[in-house]
Amino acid sequence: MRSILSLAIAGLIGGGLLSAAAHGGEVEAPAHPFAAPRDADIAKQPNAVDILLGKRLLSDTKHLLPDNVGDGLNCTSCHLGEGKVALASPFVAVSTNFPQYAARAGREINLAERINGCFLRSMNGKPVPPGSPEMKAMIAYFEWLSSGLPTKTKIDGRGVGKIDASLVPDPAKGKAVYDGKCASCHGQDGEGVKDARGEFIFPPLWGEQSFNIGAGMARTYTAAAFVKNNMPVAWGLNAPLGQGGALTDQEAVDVAEYFTHQSRPDFAPKVKDWPNGGKPKDARY
Amino acid sequence: MTGRTDRPADYLVERDMKPIKWLCLGLIIAAAPSQAQNVFPAEQVEQGRYLARAGDCVACHTAPGGKEFAGGLGIDTPIGRIYSTNISPDPKNGIGAYSFADFDKALRQGIAKDGHALYPAMPYPSYTMVSDADAKALYAYFMSGVEAVDAPNRSSDIPWPLSMRWPLRIWGRLYGQTQPFQAVSAHDAAWNRGAYLVEGLGHCGSCHTPRGIGFQEKAMRPGDGGDYLAGARIDGWFAKSLRGEQASGLGAWTEADIVQFLKTGRTSRSAVFASMAEVVGHSTQYLSEEDLSSIARFLKSLPPSDGTTPVVTAPGTAFEALRDGDYHQPGAASYVEFCAACHRLDGNGAAKIYPALAGNSVVGSNDPTSLIRIVLAGGRMPSTAAEPRGLAMPALNRLTDQDVAEILSFVRSAWGNRAPAVTADQIAKVRDTLEHR
Repeated sequence: MRSILSLAIAGLIGGGLLSAAAHGGEVEAPAHPFAAPRDADIAKQPNAVDILLGKRLLSDTKHLLPDNVGDGLNCTSCHLGEGKVALASPFVAVSTNFPQYAARAGREINLAERINGCFLRSMNGKPVPPGSPEMKAMIAYFEWLSSGLPTKTKIDGRGVGKIDASLVPDPAKGKAVYDGKCASCHGQDGEGVKDARGEFIFPPLWGEQSFNIGAGMARTYTAAAFVKNNMPVAWGLNAPLGQGGALTDQEAVDVAEYFTHQSRPDFAPKVKDWPNGGKPKDARY
Repeated sequence: MTGRTDRPADYLVERDMKPIKWLCLGLIIAAAPSQAQNVFPAEQVEQGRYLARAGDCVACHTAPGGKEFAGGLGIDTPIGRIYSTNISPDPKNGIGAYSFADFDKALRQGIAKDGHALYPAMPYPSYTMVSDADAKALYAYFMSGVEAVDAPNRSSDIPWPLSMRWPLRIWGRLYGQTQPFQAVSAHDAAWNRGAYLVEGLGHCGSCHTPRGIGFQEKAMRPGDGGDYLAGARIDGWFAKSLRGEQASGLGAWTEADIVQFLKTGRTSRSAVFASMAEVVGHSTQYLSEEDLSSIARFLKSLPPSDGTTPVVTAPGTAFEALRDGDYHQPGAASYVEFCAACHRLDGNGAAKIYPALAGNSVVGSNDPTSLIRIVLAGGRMPSTAAEPRGLAMPALNRLTDQDVAEILSFVRSAWGNRAPAVTADQIAKVRDTLEHR
């Protein structure tokens, strides 16, 4: 029995190595368990003022950086729960992986450039100057979230998770999913829902107030993985947000195809993207 | 031991009559199909179906995943667990052999056909107020509108001697003798219809009225005093006051809010949870707009139990402080981190999706039991015809007792809320009851 188990385990490990080799990737160390420090601990940090400001800028972005945000979104519209939620594009362990080579830019970029990628695309706005107090504060928050993590740490729950990219999207079915399960929060025409102050509670998914075609969220399979793992919020009893689990992979791909391909702002500098090739199949241009 | 031991005479009679009884049973079984099709007018059966929904009979008389009205739901009482009975028209295990007189005696007096007294988990003190015509319609429905299920009843887990039924007869004489419903001429027809539904079939007081030393509801109707629907602890929750208190009752609710809440399970400011979510899902969502309006009219007429005049407090400055990153209040930082994504910095949530905490009568109740429990265990809105999405509050039981105490104390004092602080001990007690369920 024990030898069969050993064989099976060896087979699994071997299979893993092979599949990693087949993808041309390095053999990765086991991922670090997902964990984020508590906000209540910010006050104990020597740069508490910067960390707190950074957290607020990333959560209340449209209000605090109106000149940099061209649409109706906050960073936390996509990076849920202060960037502390696994598979909701968390900020945890991001700073330990920068600078890094970015295929879209065709060169190595630093964290400030990566953040500004979001301001230009997802926020359809203007970059925050790299040396500004605001950028320093945002980076301080990122670095605090990665306190104690070694360089190049890969953390469980990083990004938005995976979805089978061989699934063929059906936007007509996607519209039915959207109308039935998404529109009550995001609006019948993707326009979002505002509060009494005129600020968005639920972010617009298309139209002039939404992200432009250069955003990662404009890509079908990225959006599908995000939707599958995170939408809707308050769907289940699972902490921290009761997020995700409402759709099958196919439904997520269908609805992602539907909403990403609605009318949204263009991104003129798109012509410079992926200068060295490697453009993903679901890029919008 | 069963409850029969205290009635030897009945038992002997039953034994002696056995052959006749079996013969009768056979006749009833043979007659059942024709009875189902012929005896009761369709409108009466439909009326009974509606009234059974108003009474939420299905909630207790159906086990999780079981067939409707086949009984078997465990109900915890102070002396042990009892199981609801089969009230489908099955002649052997259900109530198919009940005459109307038998049915009526169980419904309005708490006495089963074989003469044993029902546990008052069956809210017959409230059902006493049901009119004769409505009792007959309910009988028509249960005899011919419900599918017979051949599921045997399960005896209680209550050990002897507590399992003896005769004390229940005394209880019934002391507490179960509610007077039939009396219309109050000083109020209009709508108010009286609301009173009839709330006091009677709706049996709202079963959960929302505090109980006395005999486990009886302290008040059965508005005339009995300020305890009526004043809020009560039940089954590890606090069923809120339905009276006119501004912060904790229905003082801040309009009649339209109450109608919308009972119809859909949510309003622009609140969402139903816990047992009441089942009540909305099984019962109130099916009531007519007119009946719901009558219920709202009646409830809004109940003054605050403490006799105070409703006071509307100022909205406070918590929103501005949180937005500016001022977290000096204990619990403020954790509120922003764990709650604000949905309930928002202004405590206003999102209409019909995330309940507001500002001005929320559950947040504002002096007794924080329900508030603590929903944070630790989460909760879910029902899916209703009007609002099919049953959204949920996640269970935040990974937070420490101290964290939850600080967050709830903050929430109970922010945005104009003025409820007393919550201690870590109170959180620990609720956590303990949840872990030992």
